[in-house]
Amino acid sequence: MKARIACVDGVEMLMDYLEGTLPPPDREAIEAHVSGCPRCVAFIESYRQTPHILRAATAAALPEDLARSLRRFLASRR
Amino acid sequence: MTAPAADEDDEALAARAAAGEEPAFEELVSRYQGRVYRLACRLTADEGDAKDVLQETFLAAYRGLPAFRGDSRFSTWLYRIATNAALMQRRARARRPTESLEVFLPRFDADGVHAAEPPELRAASRADELLDRKLLAEKARAGLDRLPDIYREAFVLRDLEEMTTREVAELLGIDAAAVRQRVHRARLMLRGYLSDLVGVKP
Repeated sequence: MKARIACVDGVEMLMDYLEGTLPPPDREAIEAHVSGCPRCVAFIESYRQTPHILRAATAAALPEDLARSLRRFLASRR
Repeated sequence: MTAPAADEDDEALAARAAAGEEPAFEELVSRYQGRVYRLACRLTADEGDAKDVLQETFLAAYRGLPAFRGDSRFSTWLYRIATNAALMQRRARARRPTESLEVFLPRFDADGVHAAEPPELRAASRADELLDRKLLAEKARAGLDRLPDIYREAFVLRDLEEMTTREVAELLGIDAAAVRQRVHRARLMLRGYLSDLVGVKP
């Protein structure tokens, strides 16, 4: 990996970077780039936040009546 | 036959259920019905479909338990059944073609520099503050629905159900690098989609 990278290279490796699976040279190249790039800092913040926002927004709870109908359904098929 | 204990592990319950102990199966249903329903909602984007997936999953689990060998965790095995049932359900339902989320991937200039400025790049992280909760829930569901199947499955299992990359790899029958690649792609698209929702170009 080249020592100096552009935003697009950092984005490409971001998931591997966050999971800790990148080889040290790539890891260092990302860190060196991001430390001087406000655009990447902002991008990474929103990238990391995305799963949290979607998780909270789609956390459906099982309605009571559905739990009851599941029991009835299973009882009728056993 | 002893009543299932609250601290009895899933695999022990599964073994007892496979041997015909109904209370052990009931306990597994109680433990997992909420999680399977939530997973089904996330994968199908439709409450009616999620109900069908919920029922199909536990029926298939009941019938398949004698073949459950305990090579994987019970939860991984059950989630695999649910994920396949959701995929079948989606395929059975004729869906309107939807515009791909590819348009929301990040953009770069000729030198590989982010095309947008930092405030725009950051905007997606405030989607939950800037949008009404109900609207966000509706749009989040629509966004997941627009992902290609292979990205949706990996993203939902890894990032929303918070399974480990290894578990998702085992469940989907692909390697860990492929899981990371799919989840990454989904995150990029959904991040851009959230930006667009708050009125900012990704």
